Amino acid sequence: MIRFENASVTYRGGVHALRNLTLEIPDGEMLVIVGLSGAGKSTLIRAINGLVPITDGDVTVDGQSVRHATPRQLRQLRSKIGMIFQTFNLVNRTSVLNNVLMGRLHTTGTLRSLAGMYKAQDIEIAMQALERVDIVEKAYVRASNLSGGQQQRVGIARALAQQPKIILADEPVASLDPPTSHVVMRDLQRINRELGITTIVNLHFLDLAKVYAQRIVGLRAGELVFDGDAGHADENVFRDIYGRSLTADDVLEAKAASIA
Amino acid sequence: MTSATRSAARPVKPRPSLLVPLGIVVFLLLTAASLSKQLGIGLDAAGLIDDLGRGRPILEQLASPNWSYLPETIGPMIETFQMAVIASIIGCGVALPVSFMASRVTTSGRVGLFVTRWVLNVVRAIPDVLYAMIFVAAVGIGPLPGIMALILFNIGVVAKLLSETVDGVDPGPIEAGRASGANSFQTVRWGVLPQVLPHYVAYSLYTFELNIRASTVLGIVGAGGIGRTLFAQYKLFHWSNVSVAIVELFVLVVAIEAISIWLRRRLV
Amino acid sequence: MTAAATVAGGTPRPARPSQLRRNVALLAVAAIVAWAALTIDVDLSKLLRLVGGLARIFYRMFLEHGPDLTYVQTSLSAMVQSIEIAWVGTIIGAIFSLPVGFFAAKNVSSGAISNGIRVALDAVRAFPEIILAVVIFIPIAGLGPEAGALAIGIHSIGTLGKLTAEVIEGIDPGPVEAVRAAGGTGLQVQRWGVLPQVLPEIVAFWLYRFEINIRASAILGVVGAGGIGFILQQTIAYGRFPKAGTALIVVVVATILVDTASGWVRRRIIEGSQGAQLEALAPTTAADIAA
Repeated sequence: MIRFENASVTYRGGVHALRNLTLEIPDGEMLVIVGLSGAGKSTLIRAINGLVPITDGDVTVDGQSVRHATPRQLRQLRSKIGMIFQTFNLVNRTSVLNNVLMGRLHTTGTLRSLAGMYKAQDIEIAMQALERVDIVEKAYVRASNLSGGQQQRVGIARALAQQPKIILADEPVASLDPPTSHVVMRDLQRINRELGITTIVNLHFLDLAKVYAQRIVGLRAGELVFDGDAGHADENVFRDIYGRSLTADDVLEAKAASIA
Repeated sequence: MTSATRSAARPVKPRPSLLVPLGIVVFLLLTAASLSKQLGIGLDAAGLIDDLGRGRPILEQLASPNWSYLPETIGPMIETFQMAVIASIIGCGVALPVSFMASRVTTSGRVGLFVTRWVLNVVRAIPDVLYAMIFVAAVGIGPLPGIMALILFNIGVVAKLLSETVDGVDPGPIEAGRASGANSFQTVRWGVLPQVLPHYVAYSLYTFELNIRASTVLGIVGAGGIGRTLFAQYKLFHWSNVSVAIVELFVLVVAIEAISIWLRRRLV
Repeated sequence: MTAAATVAGGTPRPARPSQLRRNVALLAVAAIVAWAALTIDVDLSKLLRLVGGLARIFYRMFLEHGPDLTYVQTSLSAMVQSIEIAWVGTIIGAIFSLPVGFFAAKNVSSGAISNGIRVALDAVRAFPEIILAVVIFIPIAGLGPEAGALAIGIHSIGTLGKLTAEVIEGIDPGPVEAVRAAGGTGLQVQRWGVLPQVLPEIVAFWLYRFEINIRASAILGVVGAGGIGFILQQTIAYGRFPKAGTALIVVVVATILVDTASGWVRRRIIEGSQGAQLEALAPTTAADIAA
């Protein structure tokens, strides 16, 4: 259970990225967060694993406070939370397998990990993660030789290798074309359903949000302005969240149409 | 929509920065000062051409190497090579962690960063021969002071170059590492190191080549290698022997360059 | 693919690719290192003496009576001469390496010429400045700073020439094509198509070379080619450590000052040529990420 309690994040320049957010995310839920750029989506997600410091209020994950966690507690917390990035954040020069194995670092002793001597058990877990996203045949291929969609699937495998309870995805499909975006979102949805992992996704495209989310949360200028079923999110709701009428930029299929 | 009937006013040409003309003036002043007789070194082009005549007999001797001297140079050449190898391994090895300590991407403590960078600046500011002189004064002549001098020189060069490379890495994998719960060492090992490894190998091989050349120089102050032989012969004015050493040095440097190109391709 | 089918009947796992080449190279390196370490004629007991010896020297240089302040004047003027030698040497190197670099570049001049020049440059580069000084310039010009400046100058032509050629070979052919298409002569193509692209980087090399040449010229005094090297050798070899300490401090401070100034100018030049691009590429710091 992830709980935001009047959480606020104010950056050093005085920017209020998140204002008094109160939110509860039960285990196993698939939640999508929508909002304009700069509305606070990225901040919200990064507040959960402490990549962004919380300046007021608190966020707790399974009872562990993120704001007051010691470095050690924070690392333990993060090991249970897998993260997927818009720019994939893979190590380009090294193999897919080595990238996925980064997900096992938290259980590998420092000396062992410096030498790259992962336990056989960890390599097995990594391989299984790759199988789950259907890309195991590329295990020894250099990460930079893969397409965008394939790289993101490696990113997902890396997160899965942690055997996490929670997966955070920060605009995972923003750099991908429409068909590939659907593949990735379907993978995330499947993982959420089969493995019961709480999945929180930032999305820019509203039609994707409607299709894949169980629950949608809308942010505007750092504040929560909508929280409800995906079924109840229609154009009016989105207009509230965005503060303006929808444009083609907000819809994935419009992008698909423009490319076709 | 009406079409514009009047074009935009032409922009005013921006005032050129004063920096470039100022720089040129400073440059010319410094050059003039350096060349002049009173302040500077008194470089005299005409006088040089006269001097060429003076140097003729020596140059002629240099052009005909005394090959019978070759066997005596083998030992010192091997020593030069050994010194370069040992110094490179130790120096470049130490430089790797030091370079992480000197980069703001991999070190978050501002004090540590500041101290490391400034210690590195001082270490780099001392020429290798000066190190060699001091070490020779400390332990006597031989290859050991030369190796120590080269190690310090290597650390200075490689750590600085590598830390600048680390400053420019893609921060994405670092974020991913942190987010997965890995500790700092692991994040650097798997997020940063793979990105800079080709550069590290290139810098290390470059330093190795520098070491070969440097060890000749260190020989002047007694720190071992072919330099010692070369200078001994120089002091005795045995120019034909000197040129044998020079030719050998040239061959060694070229061979090392070829090997390092081969290694660079295989290791990365 | 449905969930049930993935793990059981999915794609077979690939085999680990052979790392033979890399391992052979690593083994070769390890073997050479082991050989060098074991066969070198070094008495390891000396290593202990080294630490003691260094401590003693450090003490006598800086702590016993403090560095010899009366020696500052002499050291400074010698260091200034070293800097001047490096300056003139770098200028000689810069001026001549520019045309030489152009002719050594494969995309400017024909293969035969550029290869020939490359070989000549390699030959010059192979010799440290001090060898050039000792062997060629001191016999010609006699002892003194002229020999030093020439030695540094000629060696710099070698290094800078090669670097210049490499930069020129790496240019974007677009602007060159544009000038040619506009009817430019060979020289105009070089001046307007090539030069603007490469000049910032080349000037940065010149400055970096200057920093290195400072160190080289400090050394040259040891063989009598002018500068602070002579003082350093005399004081250290004859045990006059307080004076040596002064000279050492002068060398370090002067070198750091030159490095900092030169580094600043270099960065301004490179930033000027890349402008906004650099801002966008600025990495986050560890502090931002570590929190």
